[in-house]
Amino acid sequence: MLISGNLNVIGYGLAAIGPGIGVGIVFAAFINGVARQPEARGQLQGIAFIGMALSEALAILGLVLAFALQPIAG
Amino acid sequence: MTTLATAPPPSGGFNSPGVEDFNLPPIFGDITKPVLQLVLAALIIWAFFALSVRKPSLVPSKGQFLGESLHGLVRNSIARDNIGPEFLKFVPYLTTLFAFILVNNLFGIIPIIQFPTFSHPGMPYVLAIFTWLIFTWVGIKHHGFIGYLRISTWPPGVPGWVRFILTPIEFISNILLRPVTLSLRLFGNMFAGHLLLLVFILGGEYMLLHSETLLPKIISPIAFVLAIVFTFFEAFIQVVQAYVFVILTASYIGTVLADDH
Amino acid sequence: MMSVLAAEEINPLTPHPVEMIVGTIAFLILFFVLKRTVFPQFEKIYAERTDKIEGGLKRAEEAQEQAAALKKEYEEQLAGLRAEAARIRDDARAEGQQIKAELRAQAEEEAARIRARGEEQITAAREQAVRQLRGEVGGLSVQLAERLIGRSLADDASRSATVDTFLDELDGLTRRRETSGAS
Repeated sequence: MLISGNLNVIGYGLAAIGPGIGVGIVFAAFINGVARQPEARGQLQGIAFIGMALSEALAILGLVLAFALQPIAG
Repeated sequence: MTTLATAPPPSGGFNSPGVEDFNLPPIFGDITKPVLQLVLAALIIWAFFALSVRKPSLVPSKGQFLGESLHGLVRNSIARDNIGPEFLKFVPYLTTLFAFILVNNLFGIIPIIQFPTFSHPGMPYVLAIFTWLIFTWVGIKHHGFIGYLRISTWPPGVPGWVRFILTPIEFISNILLRPVTLSLRLFGNMFAGHLLLLVFILGGEYMLLHSETLLPKIISPIAFVLAIVFTFFEAFIQVVQAYVFVILTASYIGTVLADDH
Repeated sequence: MMSVLAAEEINPLTPHPVEMIVGTIAFLILFFVLKRTVFPQFEKIYAERTDKIEGGLKRAEEAQEQAAALKKEYEEQLAGLRAEAARIRDDARAEGQQIKAELRAQAEEEAARIRARGEEQITAAREQAVRQLRGEVGGLSVQLAERLIGRSLADDASRSATVDTFLDELDGLTRRRETSGAS
């Protein structure tokens, strides 16, 4: 069976593991916080999204590098 | 393209959608579909807000209420919470930014248009540069050039030897990488989301129309159902990404405005 | 749709200059138009609304204060009225007592007067009776004595002297009886 594709994408897959866990932790903490103090929801929401964005940035960098690091013709 | 097994792709087989699908043919001259979408988005937003303040009153009409809630969302829950007392100056930029990104993202799931403008990275770069210029300028104006560098790269209460490592990292991540991640996050999400929908829809179409055996034809509806599910998911992602871009902009402005902490 | 013409790959990270230029212009125009026309309106509406709500709250507070002041005033008035009513009642009672006392005094006076008049009349009647009796008793005594003695006491002087002594005796007799009856 032939498998064709780009090795970079495997790299991206690896790079997405960490951010995936990170985003999960961020939202777990957010849910915990809201469950304990429902009135703090508004404040926590902003912080949660910032946290998600920051950890997601790594995954995005992985995706971008998968495209950016192309071999030079050959 | 590096291939794991070097063989020409089987002719006639399924070609997975890929990067090439994002190169749209020009409509006339240099004008491509995303260019038109950018102008259309600006027009839509202008019309929306213009209608919402056509007859301003204390008890808002439906249109005014919509405009007010969009403006109020950015003003109160993004700008005020993240920037602090001087937030009012930045509300116009943040609101325009939010509306512009939101409409352009939602083009990705609006029938007929169905192309998220920011899956082409040009405009995300431009918007991130705007944001970078604004928060750098605000920081320098508020703290002076040295003060701005200090607040960005010199976290207080760190032992001396750590600074050798920390300060370059802070410099890179706070000053250089902020606009990069900001724009690439938006671009990456839109690009990946659009690609995801393409895979489901084109794959389903191929299974239904072009497969020689019966089984793929039978299971092809699953692909379409998933495409619909992911369309809703994409709608959510598109709103969240617009929100994240704006909230990060506000938070960057807030950090450079903050006095020594 | 798989345009195989893209033999030379276009990296998806490469921006398209036309998009950037048109997008920047569109965004900036949008920004300035909205900033000039729309957002000030929103801010104005928010300010007005806040003003109105705060004004309303203030007005409500004022009304409440007014009501409280009014209530206090009423209560004060009520207390005053109550005191006055008590005073009036006291006055009335005092007046009533006074009137009663006056009436009683008048009645007593009247009674005294009536009694006095009665006594006067009684005295007058007695004196008249005494006078009459004195006349008649004299005559009768003389007649009696004439009959007993059989002779006429023609001599007026001796006659009247005899009668007078007799009457004096009689008077002394009645006075003694009166004093013993009064004691």
